[in-house]
Formats: sequence, C-alpha cells, structure tokens
Amino acid sequence: MLIDLRKCIGCNTCAVVCKSENDVPLGVWRSWVKRVEKGKYPHSKEYFLPIVCNNCENPICVTVCPVNASIKRPDGIVYIDPHRCIGCRYCMAACPYGVRYINPIKKIAEKCYWCFHRVDAGLKPACVLACLAGAIMFGDLNNPKSDISKALAKNAIQVIKPEIGTEPHTFYIGLDIEAVEAIKIEEEK
Amino acid sequence: MDTQILYNIFHQDAFGLNIAIYFYLTGLSAGSFILSTLAYSFGMDQYKSIGKVGVVLATVLLVIAPFFLLIHIGMPHRAWHLFVYLNMASPITWGSFLLVLYPINCIIYGYFMFKGHIKLTRIFGLIGIPLAISVHGYTGFILAFGKARALWNTAIMPILFLASAIVSGIALMILVCIIKDRFFSKEKKINQELILNLGKLLAWMIVFDLFLVGSDLIVLAISHSDAQAAAHLILSGKFSILFLLVENLLGKILPFILLAVPGFRRLTTVIIASILVIFGIFFMRYIVVVGGEFLPLL
Ligand code: SF4
Ligand code: SF4
Repeated sequence: MLIDLRKCIGCNTCAVVCKSENDVPLGVWRSWVKRVEKGKYPHSKEYFLPIVCNNCENPICVTVCPVNASIKRPDGIVYIDPHRCIGCRYCMAACPYGVRYINPIKKIAEKCYWCFHRVDAGLKPACVLACLAGAIMFGDLNNPKSDISKALAKNAIQVIKPEIGTEPHTFYIGLDIEAVEAIKIEEEK
Repeated sequence: MDTQILYNIFHQDAFGLNIAIYFYLTGLSAGSFILSTLAYSFGMDQYKSIGKVGVVLATVLLVIAPFFLLIHIGMPHRAWHLFVYLNMASPITWGSFLLVLYPINCIIYGYFMFKGHIKLTRIFGLIGIPLAISVHGYTGFILAFGKARALWNTAIMPILFLASAIVSGIALMILVCIIKDRFFSKEKKINQELILNLGKLLAWMIVFDLFLVGSDLIVLAISHSDAQAAAHLILSGKFSILFLLVENLLGKILPFILLAVPGFRRLTTVIIASILVIFGIFFMRYIVVVGGEFLPLL
C-alpha cells in the first residue's frame, strides 16, 4: 500500500468506510487519520497521516503470538484467525504501531488486514476505493509492472519507524518526521 | 517548531495490572523455591528450617498466579489452544510449558522433602532450579520482545526480573518464618539467628538489584530517543514518584540501611525492612509493566 500524503485532504472517508466494511465496534478503529498542526495559527499547517496496519514483512505480532493466530499469508497480508485467538493481547503489546485492539464484543485481537476478503475476490480494499483524493494505492509489489511498483520506483518514499526493523509494507510519499514523532515532542514539553 | 496533535487514536493498554500481579507472584514463587534449595540441594544446613516453608510457598503462589492470566485474556475457555497450536518463537508458549512443569516438580520435590527422603529431595531440588529460573525469567523475555517499548526492550530484563524475584522471595520468607515460629511452632520462639542471616542475604541481593536497575537507567538515559523518553518518564515524569520514592528509596535503599548498619540489626528492623521490600518489588513490577506501555507509540 502506498499513501500519497500530498493528496490527502484529511476528510476521514477511509476511516469511516473501514468501520462499515469491517464491522468495527464503537471505541476502536482499524484505520484513522492522525492530525498534526505545525506552527502557530494563522501561520500554521495541518498534516494528515492516515494510519493502517503496515502488514510488515517481518511482523513482530506474528513472532509473539503464542497460538499462531496471527499469521502472515504467502501474499504478505498479516491476518488474525478469529477462531484461534485467545485474546492474550501480546500482539498489542509488541506491535510498534499500536494498530491492534481487542474487539470489545468478541474479546479477540483485530486490526486492518487490507480487506483481504475483498482482495481475494479481486477487489481493492475499501479505503482505496473510497478515497476521494485518490491518495491510496494498492497492488502487487512483486509485479514490477503494477502501478504501485512504478509509483514506488518513481517517488521518494518513506515508512513509519523504519528503525524498528519490522519492514512495513505501508509506504508514504511526503511523510513528515514531526507528524510521526509529535507525541515525543509533546511529552518533552 | 510548535507541533500539536489535533487528533489521534490510542487503543487500550495491552497488559496492565493483572499481568503485573502475575509477574509479581511468579517472582515470589521462584525466589522462595531457590531459597528452599539452599539447604536441601546445596547443603547449607543453617537454612534447613526454611526448606519446607519455601516449597509450600513456591507451590501455592504458582498455583494462584495463572488465574490472573485467565482473568486477563479475552477468551479463557480457549486457553487449551496454548498447548495445541504451538509457536516456539513466542515466550508465552515457553511459559505454557513452564507453568505446567514447574508446579509439578515443586510438588514432587515437596513430597520427598516432607517424607524425609534426602537424596531424592536433592535431585528434584536441582531439577527445580533451572525451572524456577525459567518460570520467572521467561516473563522478562515476554517484555523484552516488545521491541518498540524502550523500557521493556532490553537484554537485562530477564536478569533484572530474577534479581527482584530473589529479593522479594527472601523478604517473604523472613515474614513467613517469623509468623510460623511465633504462632504455629511448638516452642513459640523465633529463630533469631536464621532471621538475621536471611536479613544479611537480603541486604546483598538488594545491592545487586540496585546495580542492575542503575545500569539499565544509565544506558536508557543516553540511548536512542525513545529510550530517553522512557528514562524521562521514570525519573521526572508521571512515574517518577513511584519509581524514585516508592520502589527505590522506600523499597530498596531504606531496607538496605536497616539491614546493613550493624546498630540497626534487630528483629523488628528486619521485619520492617522485609515489609518495605515486599511492597517495593510490587511497585517495581507495576512500573515496568504499566510504565513500559505508558508512552504512546505514534
Ligand atoms: S503494523 Fe503491527 S500489527 Fe501490523 S503487521 Fe506490523 S507488527 Fe503486525
Ligand atoms: S491476542 Fe490473539 S492474535 Fe494477539 S497474540 Fe494473543 S492469541 Fe495471538
């Protein structure tokens, strides 16, 4: 997945459509748009950062799941087997991106898995279709001719927290370091 | 640059109090077990009388501890998955086996001890030591695998947990021995010499524990930015009062002074020191578990 932050207008459509597509209960989110303001009004600019699971190449959530409920599929999507998860929350503790939550009704771990039920049927993930700015791109990274591979080759890209070493598969164009690390900046104040 | 977060999502804590209590109880259990082997496996006869107390404590605490796990997990009736769908890379899987083997070994060891079978007690005591170390050490690995949390993600975590386990184990042993001698023994007389000996042992283990906590802090404070933020959190942030005052001053330094200065060395001071230590180590677990996941990730 490639998210072009230059196009994102912060409308939250992706977050809303994700909720309805995946039946996400109240109080938890599989995707959301983080908003950060830099500078002082009126000389300020808002940054939008849509967050989803990175479906990492080297997912620590899969390493730590004691019952193999979190699994990386051959196509790279990391998903959670709802019949196997025991709700121990270890994956939530280990994921460096805080994208997992416990479903308050089912009491098991859930997260974004790029709508694999749609992908398996040949469709794009819901957020990709719904984004009115066309800021989210989805496709096969193994195919050098796919749109996403071409876009990745052509642009300066970035992932969140590359230093953690889970090798995220959600790439961003125009990612702002302060928008990512604003938490730390606020904590220090 | 003025940077402000206008909107962000935080999900609930992953671990929290139940897990902190679980870690605390396994620590007490492992500490008690190791103490009980001093006499029966290593022939330190001055500790003979704590052998039985130790093994009973170790078993009882370890039978209670997993209930906190069951309360914690969302799907307790699926706990059997832990023994069927194994993922050997996960510390929790290591733990599922340890949580079965260790209590069984404790019971066998205790059985032979109460039967007075010296040789078999010795053997099961020796088998039990690596198990006791693992049953608490693995909880250190659980946290160390949380690779984005600077307070957890350190190789010192398992040994830090073991040191505090032994510290709290000795303190609990002192209190239990006193209660047992005072109220449940025939002579109703406390074995002063044993208690003072244990007190000395406790003092030195506190020094070792302080050394580990200090090393951890020093490295955190100069390491990468997340680590600095964690050091900040426990030294001057929200957890500083708990960490500096409760865990270290009241829970370690003060008891050490009470135990180590010869003028203070009396039965009452040993009792006070042990109570302080037992509370201090509980807060240590709390700070590590809850403080460790306190800082948001994004
Ligand atoms: S972002 Fe977190 S939950 Fe998603 S694959 Fe990576 S480690 Fe797992
Ligand atoms: S909460 Fe579920 S998916 Fe996460 S580690 Fe535990 S069993 Fe695995």
